[in-house]
Amino acid sequence: MNMWQKGNPYLYVLPAVFFMIIFFFGGILQGVLQSLGVSIFHDDAQFTFKAYQELAQSIDFWQSLSLTFKIAFLSTLLSALLGMIIAFILFIISLKAYNTNRFPFLYRIFQYPLVIPHLAAGYLFLLLLMQSGWLSRISFQLGWIEEIYQFPILVNDTFGWGIILTYTWKEAPFITLMVYPVLLRVHKSWYEVARLYGSNMIKFLKNVAFPLVLPAWLSSIFIVFAFTFSAFEIPYLLGVTYPQLLPVYSFELFMHGGWEERSQSLALNIILAFITGILGIISYLLSKRWLSSERRGWE
Amino acid sequence: MGELVIHRVEKKYLNHNGNPSKNPSFQLYPMNLSIQEGEFFGIIGPSGCGKTTFLKCIAGLILPDSGNVLLGKKNLTYVPPEKRPFSMVFQQPLLFPHLKVIDNVSFGLKMQGINKKVRFDKAKDMLQAVGLSGYELRHPYELSGGQQQRVSLARAIIMNPKVLFLDEPFSALDPDLRQEMRELVKQLHQTFKVTVLMVTHDREEAFQLADRLAIMHEGKLLQVGTPKNCYEKPDHIKVAQFLGSKNMIEGVVSKNKFIGKYFEVSLGYNLMNKTKGWLIIRPELFKRMCPNDLNQTVNNVHIQSFTGRIKEVSYRSGFVHYKVDIKGQSLYVIETNQSDLPLVNDQVTLQLNIKKLHFIPQ
Repeated sequence: MNMWQKGNPYLYVLPAVFFMIIFFFGGILQGVLQSLGVSIFHDDAQFTFKAYQELAQSIDFWQSLSLTFKIAFLSTLLSALLGMIIAFILFIISLKAYNTNRFPFLYRIFQYPLVIPHLAAGYLFLLLLMQSGWLSRISFQLGWIEEIYQFPILVNDTFGWGIILTYTWKEAPFITLMVYPVLLRVHKSWYEVARLYGSNMIKFLKNVAFPLVLPAWLSSIFIVFAFTFSAFEIPYLLGVTYPQLLPVYSFELFMHGGWEERSQSLALNIILAFITGILGIISYLLSKRWLSSERRGWE
Repeated sequence: MGELVIHRVEKKYLNHNGNPSKNPSFQLYPMNLSIQEGEFFGIIGPSGCGKTTFLKCIAGLILPDSGNVLLGKKNLTYVPPEKRPFSMVFQQPLLFPHLKVIDNVSFGLKMQGINKKVRFDKAKDMLQAVGLSGYELRHPYELSGGQQQRVSLARAIIMNPKVLFLDEPFSALDPDLRQEMRELVKQLHQTFKVTVLMVTHDREEAFQLADRLAIMHEGKLLQVGTPKNCYEKPDHIKVAQFLGSKNMIEGVVSKNKFIGKYFEVSLGYNLMNKTKGWLIIRPELFKRMCPNDLNQTVNNVHIQSFTGRIKEVSYRSGFVHYKVDIKGQSLYVIETNQSDLPLVNDQVTLQLNIKKLHFIPQ
């Protein structure tokens, strides 16, 4: 009876674990094997690093990798800054407000982008930012531009502004959502203490609030970077045909390339997963060494 | 610097309808107070009476609806708290958790732009003054509650404030630690000659530390005076109640005699006839007569004797507390421990110096 009770929780999660192992780890394993030329469907397959070698020699791959890094970096940077600024604005309002009952409404506004799927957000930005889009037409109607084609090219552009802006709009609320609850735990009394000791709001945010939310902010930055680095929908919708972002490049190779290019496509995915994994480890080590002592006694 | 003067400071909080003027949910009635330089002043009152709100109005953390806060000749009413020469220790230590002890103590100096070496040297001196030398590099979570409150004190005093506010700073500590902290605060007050304004609901704390007291009740200042004066001659029945008066008898004065429902006594001073009010008899004013003394004649006209029966007795750290029923009036008596402890149902004769009775008119 006792043994049954002890084992019970494990049994409950067994179906979920089973599917996780089959579809997630199984998929990764299959991807790794196929990227290495090994296939369970072909008897003549041979173990080889050919796909990785070809990618390493491909200019397309390096251009795609550099573009992906650039877009992920800029999207993350803008989201991180905007998300943090929104969180701080909400925090300042909560500090100053005597009656905070109506306050959650404001907080909800910043949460709405979170519920919109990335594909829908991409499409929304396409309609909004393209030269024949809403903003362009509004600008034309207001007389700011003489023709709609004078509107700057912000989607399907080589720099990737459309992707960056969409990611910023989508991910900034995520950063806010991660940071703001931590900020709410900063006592109002700490602000009073800081004020009595000569600190204004800016000094308080810099010296007290920011160091306290830094761990949560860095964690959310990593999540956003990992996502924007490897997500597919928005670059597919708003990117250009050349150079493509790594996930799109991989998809195109897989869907429209020949059989021999499938290994390259999977190798690309493995490289994406590997880079994300490395970033995760760095982030973990950083937070463990640098931030753990500051978190203790508070979180 | 000069004295700290609070002139007609008033604050109303909104009621549920959002209207501050009609039936506010809480109101601080116009307050007048004058605190001398170097004085240790205590504001005492029950929880929720507005002590902290009043303190925050003076500190600048809450803007009063009207009135002025003056330090010497300088009007500080609209000066933001970060520019006032005040420091404050709160009920909780409120140390910044990400900063080491030395950084916490020197936080205010850092905000003033003082260079690191100077502020760290001062912080070390201050930590020594509060008995925490060697704790500089610890984080707050590595300190006990008492040590955290010491750091909080050091953080306040290092600013060399003109007035130090203490907002129930020891209420979260255990009794032994509380006593230790009171002594430390007293010592720091004497060493640094700083004006202290302390808010507390702990009578013992206020009586032990304060040179003068103000008693607050429901947003009003009821009485200001020395602890002795407030205790022995309360101006208001609420003051008597809060300061622990045990024998408060409601009645009326007639021909210099107090007449209660069950109890009558001559008053040692003149009062207008038919004045209604309360007679306050401090429990320690009674003197229990030994059986041998009973036959002796009392020549002092101010001494009156009462005979009653003991209802309850308790012994508390060197003092005997007992309740005596005198013709239906229950009276509370405290006397220093004597060899013959009274017993329940014993008949006792008590003497009372009527000159020391206090009457509070209604």
